[in-house]
Amino acid sequence: MKILFFTGKGGVGKSTLAAAYAWQLSQKHRVLIVSLDPAHNLGDIFGVEVRGERRFSQTLLLKEVDLKKLSKAYLKREIRVLSDTYKYLQILNLDTYFAVLKYSPGIEEYALLTSIEESIKTENSFDYIVFDTPPTGLTLRFLALPQITVTWLDRLTQIRKKIIEKCYTIQNIKGPQSAGETILSYDEKDDGILQKLYSLKSNYESLNRILQGNDCSIVLVFNPDMLSLKESLRLIKGLKELKLPLRLLLHNKISPESGETMARVEKEISNVTSVPLERVSFLSDFQTNKDSVLYHIKEDLTNIIHQG
Amino acid sequence: MKLSVFDLLRNICRDIDKTHRSNVCALTVTEVEELRNIFALLLLGSFVGLPSPPSFLAVELLPYMQKELEILSKRAQNANDMFAEMFGALGVG
Repeated sequence: MKILFFTGKGGVGKSTLAAAYAWQLSQKHRVLIVSLDPAHNLGDIFGVEVRGERRFSQTLLLKEVDLKKLSKAYLKREIRVLSDTYKYLQILNLDTYFAVLKYSPGIEEYALLTSIEESIKTENSFDYIVFDTPPTGLTLRFLALPQITVTWLDRLTQIRKKIIEKCYTIQNIKGPQSAGETILSYDEKDDGILQKLYSLKSNYESLNRILQGNDCSIVLVFNPDMLSLKESLRLIKGLKELKLPLRLLLHNKISPESGETMARVEKEISNVTSVPLERVSFLSDFQTNKDSVLYHIKEDLTNIIHQG
Repeated sequence: MKLSVFDLLRNICRDIDKTHRSNVCALTVTEVEELRNIFALLLLGSFVGLPSPPSFLAVELLPYMQKELEILSKRAQNANDMFAEMFGALGVG
């Protein structure tokens, strides 16, 4: 299964090109297109109402991820675990105060990452998963999350192991504990925190491997304008730092008037990356031509991406 | 219940042994408590203005952190007299 992320500045046409690519690909393969952008417009592009999930054709499934719903579901699950652990607080009706966790920062990125992970691990019946991502800032943050998390997990695991090692020494010196004494977990298997750290680490490492692997591609969409260029340069730099595989550049909304700016944008981008570039022309006849649909573009994107 | 001289002697020896063993590992016990305190501080550092890991990590581990939170709160209460505790653990004075 191959995974593609369409990224770029807001408004450059990521969603339209992701939809066009998914549609072209679905002529030969089974494709799932997932919109992670909180401002969904997958339904608008395909001219249908998606509401979570909708099959567009035999080989194309559309999915819109509701980030708020996802964050809520995740926190509800965690709050339930917390309330179970601190059950005695129910006597004083204090357990409800855990609900405040839903305002924690960073939960949205985590929910987004969880949703990607879930799609990658559960949707095995597809040949391709195409992700239409939110604008640059949020995309870079959630793509960086597995690596940042693994670094933290490593450090925390180190401290935890040291604690267990010391507890083992104490246990050895003190001998069997008498009744009433607190028993410290001195075996890695008995320590809930360490076990959780291990399971989180293996999870994030496997996700990281998938994101940096050969089956994952990042497609950068940009327009012939300076703002889009600046943000694209930042994104290319960010992806390089994260060692994420940028495989194709799509120069979208090219028109006869964009000549000089287009050349300048392409020159500056080619200075920082040698990834193949394809131009997608601006279609001005959408309004007038009733038969044209947004996901129909004349350029064959699938061919280029496969070469890339 | 009346204890025989033998039982009494055995209890005394056992208590002496226990006290010695406790004294030997007192410093390690303090060290473990400090490590657990550091662990909790790193994980929940945002409460006291420290840079903290992604907040979901704290949320994931929070259900297992009861003991760590107890230590953290105890340390916060005794923070004004940490030298006394350290000297106590080292057997100074």
